[in-house]
Amino acid sequence: MDILGLLKNMTITHWSFYIVSMLTLFGALGTIMSKNPIHSVIYLILTFFSLSAHYIMLNAQFLAAVNIIVYAGAIMVLFLFVVMFLNLREENEELPKNSILIAASIVGGIIGITLIAAIRQTQIEKVNPYSFNTKTGLVETLGSLLFNKYLLPFELVSVLFLIAMAGAVMLGKREKGERHF
Amino acid sequence: MLQENTALIPDMIKQIPLVNYVLLASILFVIGIVGVLIRRNALIIFMSIELMLNAVNLLLVAFSAYNSDPNGQVFVFFIMAVAAAEVAVGLAIIVMIYRNIRSIDIGLLNKLRG
Amino acid sequence: MYPILFLSFSGLITLFLGFFQEGKWVKPATILFLAIASISAFIDWNKPGAYFFNMLQVNNFNLLLSLVILITAILIVAISDNFKEIEYAHSAEYYAIMQFSLVGAIMMTNFQSLIMLFLGVEILSVSMYVLTGTDKRNLRGNEAAIKYFLLGAFATGILLFGIAMIYGGVGAFEIDAISGTLASNQAQSLFLYIGLVMLLIGLLFKLAAAPFHFWTPDVYEGAPTIFTLFMATIVKTAVVFALYRILHQSFQNMHLSWSYILAGCIALSLIIGNLSAVKQISFKRMLAFSSISHAGFLLLGLLHVSKTADKSLLFYSVSYLLASTSAFGVLLALKNERTENGRSNENISVFKGLATRSPFLSAVLIISMLSLAGIPLTGGFWSKFYVLTDAANDQFFYLIVLALLLTAVGVYYYFKPIITVFEKSDIQEAITINPIFKIIFVLTTLGTLVLGLFPDLLYGMI
Repeated sequence: MDILGLLKNMTITHWSFYIVSMLTLFGALGTIMSKNPIHSVIYLILTFFSLSAHYIMLNAQFLAAVNIIVYAGAIMVLFLFVVMFLNLREENEELPKNSILIAASIVGGIIGITLIAAIRQTQIEKVNPYSFNTKTGLVETLGSLLFNKYLLPFELVSVLFLIAMAGAVMLGKREKGERHF
Repeated sequence: MLQENTALIPDMIKQIPLVNYVLLASILFVIGIVGVLIRRNALIIFMSIELMLNAVNLLLVAFSAYNSDPNGQVFVFFIMAVAAAEVAVGLAIIVMIYRNIRSIDIGLLNKLRG
Repeated sequence: MYPILFLSFSGLITLFLGFFQEGKWVKPATILFLAIASISAFIDWNKPGAYFFNMLQVNNFNLLLSLVILITAILIVAISDNFKEIEYAHSAEYYAIMQFSLVGAIMMTNFQSLIMLFLGVEILSVSMYVLTGTDKRNLRGNEAAIKYFLLGAFATGILLFGIAMIYGGVGAFEIDAISGTLASNQAQSLFLYIGLVMLLIGLLFKLAAAPFHFWTPDVYEGAPTIFTLFMATIVKTAVVFALYRILHQSFQNMHLSWSYILAGCIALSLIIGNLSAVKQISFKRMLAFSSISHAGFLLLGLLHVSKTADKSLLFYSVSYLLASTSAFGVLLALKNERTENGRSNENISVFKGLATRSPFLSAVLIISMLSLAGIPLTGGFWSKFYVLTDAANDQFFYLIVLALLLTAVGVYYYFKPIITVFEKSDIQEAITINPIFKIIFVLTTLGTLVLGLFPDLLYGMI
């Protein structure tokens, strides 16, 4: 196989896909490998930004923005807040050998299955230029869908938030006689 | 008309096959699973779970973009909302535990054994 | 459909009721709300159809199911006893979260789109994570909460990956769209297969079926007893019927693929559940393993796509709900009897001498144990009978044999508490029981016996 020839034929789109993908995976690996939780958080934010780049390239601009606002903006700040709050330092935890074995076998299995499935799928999937709707990822389309078809689930998410709110306040509250920290 | 529409289709969808995205999402998902299995710090396990959810988001966006069907992207909104709720509860549980044992290493919690 | 809408509001009202008069109206109000919700279910009686842009499916069977869930919730709320076992109890929040979690449970049984399934699973699980951790200063409770939370969120991730893959294969989230794609006889994409397997793993995890059961004993033991009861009854029922909707109403054409996965899970659940329960000292832990084996039996009812599967499953759920409520209720009624390090003793030995101290409680306990073991004349016998007749088929003959063999093992460990009841104890004083407990126990025990003597009352009605 001529790798050099392959590289020469790659367009800018290919390059951007592969570079952003590498960034995504690099961030993901950093998240699970780093010892310091703060580094993990920062790697995870890198992953979120590169995922947003993917969403933009896939024409899902609104989701890209929401991804940064919600994930990188709100969820990761919450994580960072807890890391700082608990004042966690580097822990010298050792990776147990057994679980690595289990993990490796599961990982191998899933990757194998997914690979086969994905390769089989390639022949079927083709973008149809006649029926392709280029406005799929725009706020207009998503908004009208969210408030018509998905109105009930949208309203019921509020129940979930109420549970989370009441639960988090209740669990995090300091009771009488508990030490301060 | 067809020419116009074709010109508007993003390059990514025209040039990169869907398989690549499925593979990328699967690898990301697997990295998340490995993180859950090998780490003992509750916060990092939790971040690995977030990684898994993001892999699902990427998968849904890719399917949705290639089929130009917005339903998948709406689902991503719901996943984000649920992830936010889960994070709130999960971090409250972690803080509660830290108050009691001054650590978030799940290996230290072994009161319950049959 | 109406219970969902009603409970979303009543939960909110309950949160505010906690402010007035130190929350003494919260419990009666919760029971009242649940009763109104049960009645409101009948507004849709005989009006089958898909509502809210094909999000919810309404039919009489689903209504009955919501009713069963709501009535069980009323029983649980009635014996909650203002959460005296929890150190810093916030009753209003607990009752509110319980009502919200029922919204999730009902969504899981009535869903028509996978989005509703996912949200239902999440509403139910997130409230269970919170409720598991309510005993904040108890390290066992903490451990149970973090374990349940991390593993539950992990399972949610897998479930979501499954849903995403199904979306890739079908292009829609509605379960009738899935069955339509499957019925159209084209070559199915492998995405659908991966999706189904992942979705099954996620749901089996929530059902606590082996080999995804490892969190169950710890979480059941560590959580406050009242919420363990909630988990063992309502969560299980909701997940089983979610599986029923998915396997029997949308993936029925892929029966060959999923029946083998299910068969493996059934065999493992029955073996692990029954054999591990034998050596347990803690009553709650024993019931946790017994719940794993019951999960196996419930899955046995799902194994074949038949017309009577829904009936048998509902019958099984009802008899299991009644027996579990009695069993856990007796443990709750005894919680002040003996304490160790400030926590109530939850070992089987707590029942020592119960026969002389309170013949009523011992009768309740014995009947519930007999029903869980599947002895004739109790509801448990007929539920096992119906499930096994449904599953009886040449293909999985060995599973029936295995189930019968392990039921015999089950008899052994269910008899351990019964024998303990008749052992002599040093303490002789009679136990006073709260009148509300008495009413609930009479109801559940009578229900178990009626189901055992006249199974057609329920089975014929569905």
